[in-house]
Amino acid sequence: MNSSQDISRVTFIVMREMRAPLMAILIVYALAILGMVFIPGPELNGEVQYLSIFHAFYFMTYTATTTGFGEIPFVFSDAQRLWAIVCLYVSVVTWFYALGSIVRLFQNRYFLRAVEEWRFAKNVNRIAGPFYIVCGFGDTGSVLVRGMNEAGLRVIVIDQSEDRIQALKLRNYKTAVPGLCANASIPRYLLEAGVRSERCQAVVCITNNEEANLKISAIVRLLNPQTRIITMSKVDDFEETLSTLGGEVHIVDPFKTFARVLNASINNTAFYALNNWLVGDKGATLDSYIQPPLGGWIICGYGRMGLEANRVLTKNGIKTAVIDPHSRRKEEEIDTYVIGHVNAKTLSRAGIHEAVGLLAADADDGHNLGTLLNARCLNKNLFTIVRQNSHENEVAFSEANADMIMQPTLVTARKILLLLIAPLLKPFFRYLLAKKAGREEILKNLLVLLREKIGNQKPCLVTIDFNSEKSSAVIQALDEGEEVLLGHIISDPRNRDVELDLVPFVIKSCGKEIVLPAKDYKILEGDQLLFCGTSTSKYLLKSSINSEYTLYYLRTGQYKPMGYFMQWYERRFSKA
Amino acid sequence: MNFEKVIFGFFIVLSLTLNVGFFLGEYDNAAHHSVFELFAVVVVNLIATGLKLGDRSQIGAILLATSLVADFELIAAALRWTFAVHIAGTGVTPDVMASIIALAGGALVANIISVVILVSETLMSRL
Repeated sequence: MNSSQDISRVTFIVMREMRAPLMAILIVYALAILGMVFIPGPELNGEVQYLSIFHAFYFMTYTATTTGFGEIPFVFSDAQRLWAIVCLYVSVVTWFYALGSIVRLFQNRYFLRAVEEWRFAKNVNRIAGPFYIVCGFGDTGSVLVRGMNEAGLRVIVIDQSEDRIQALKLRNYKTAVPGLCANASIPRYLLEAGVRSERCQAVVCITNNEEANLKISAIVRLLNPQTRIITMSKVDDFEETLSTLGGEVHIVDPFKTFARVLNASINNTAFYALNNWLVGDKGATLDSYIQPPLGGWIICGYGRMGLEANRVLTKNGIKTAVIDPHSRRKEEEIDTYVIGHVNAKTLSRAGIHEAVGLLAADADDGHNLGTLLNARCLNKNLFTIVRQNSHENEVAFSEANADMIMQPTLVTARKILLLLIAPLLKPFFRYLLAKKAGREEILKNLLVLLREKIGNQKPCLVTIDFNSEKSSAVIQALDEGEEVLLGHIISDPRNRDVELDLVPFVIKSCGKEIVLPAKDYKILEGDQLLFCGTSTSKYLLKSSINSEYTLYYLRTGQYKPMGYFMQWYERRFSKA
Repeated sequence: MNFEKVIFGFFIVLSLTLNVGFFLGEYDNAAHHSVFELFAVVVVNLIATGLKLGDRSQIGAILLATSLVADFELIAAALRWTFAVHIAGTGVTPDVMASIIALAGGALVANIISVVILVSETLMSRL
């Protein structure tokens, strides 16, 4: 309905703009043709020749378009030539007028805009399966869309910047990603992006404007009460509003996520290594344990990130010193608060010589890099965490050799990506982090298992839904009353005695989550499985849960007869 | 070892090799092409098609399709032979032989595709 409205809008504009030129051409042609028909031609065999209407139209066609084939079908009389002169000048001018109108229309910004919106809506409608709307295509958006695209999700992008949408169109995605340059907080554009459709799985609001994110979330909730909303927010007040919108709303706060990661790295290094490896941090391996030292820390820049980091550090009994140009907020626990810009003097006052760690958390990349170099001069053994705000400064930051780089855009993008492609990771992490006996042992064994199965290959987190669409063979076997065990589907279809290179993390069954399920777990319809494995194992598993013959082999070790002949043969001779 | 695959592969490869045997020779020389060979190709091809019936996998569908194409062309070739010898009574003249071989050549291509699919599927599942 939406797209047909747009079509009619575009055609309406064309009709309206072309009305006058078309009428002019019509009238000029009609008069010219009538003239040519009634003006007597030359005498042939004593009879005066006249042009037929068809011939007159033919003559006008090649005259008005300045083609000029000559005098057809016979040499004209002078009277006809006189009229032909009039016709030529008038019709050629009219033609140019009409052509000019068309060209002007196609140069009109608003017309082009209408065409673009119509095309966008058409492309959205063409997506057959479920899709996701991403509002905002900055640093975060481009990382997120790339990740979603690689995971096989269909994405629709809305961004206000023309440049970014142009850049989007030039990227080499696996499947087309329709993009519209528009303000996503205007409901009309969200409707064009298909927010009302039941295929719309989630709307991700990651524009760089907090208020816009809030507004988009509210509008989306009003337009579609079912769909999931994932919003980036760095402001506590907004987060409260967002959480009361109703329905499924996820709030992603890069600084809170970072604080959690920092906390994990202090308390549970194995978990920190696992997390970094799973999200695909550059150079992260399962063996790269990074542990921030305990002792005095200096936080340069006390914004949202500084605040969250300070909370985590003080909670772990670490003394902190803050350097910030703004005056102190009373409520926080800070040992030393130095007001001023970061330089050798302020760093010394904050106790740089005794400190063990430094966090450069300013919202400006230049300041952060400067702070890092400055502090290194004064104390070579510092453990450094630096905040990188813009993706463009990637090279500079990787040269800076900080122990941890915190990129809010990347943190947000990865967090959202995991929420979308591996929603079961959250309960899995909660299980691993729970303060219960034996959990550390489990985590250690898990790391050993992952190292053995995946090693240096890139880990893929895959969510499998057991339904007739995504795993037809499993459902078919279940319908036939057969048992399908987890151990069956994770065996190698090439040799069932070997297991695929993957580790099942969680199975969600009937609303309950089973962490690290055993191999004899019986799969039920509607279950959801999260596993981590190599990309080869992902493809093999996906093909075996969709091929009844492969699954039969995995379950029984026998080959299922494929043709009618063999089926008859088995029935006839095997049972006897 | 999958017993069904043995039978299946046997008939598919046999029909290809018989088809090649019939096809070889000067294309319009009846002395180079035996009617019994054509008979054998038709029969083996029909058996191979019969074995493919009932397979619900994607590859099974394509194998069945190529096999049906081969059947169709070989039966057309056999009918052409019968018509020339028994109904028109002209005997197997060079132009009749040429059209029979043209049809058998088409069937040969379909049989080659069948074998290529069969081999690549086997290789893929035992990567």
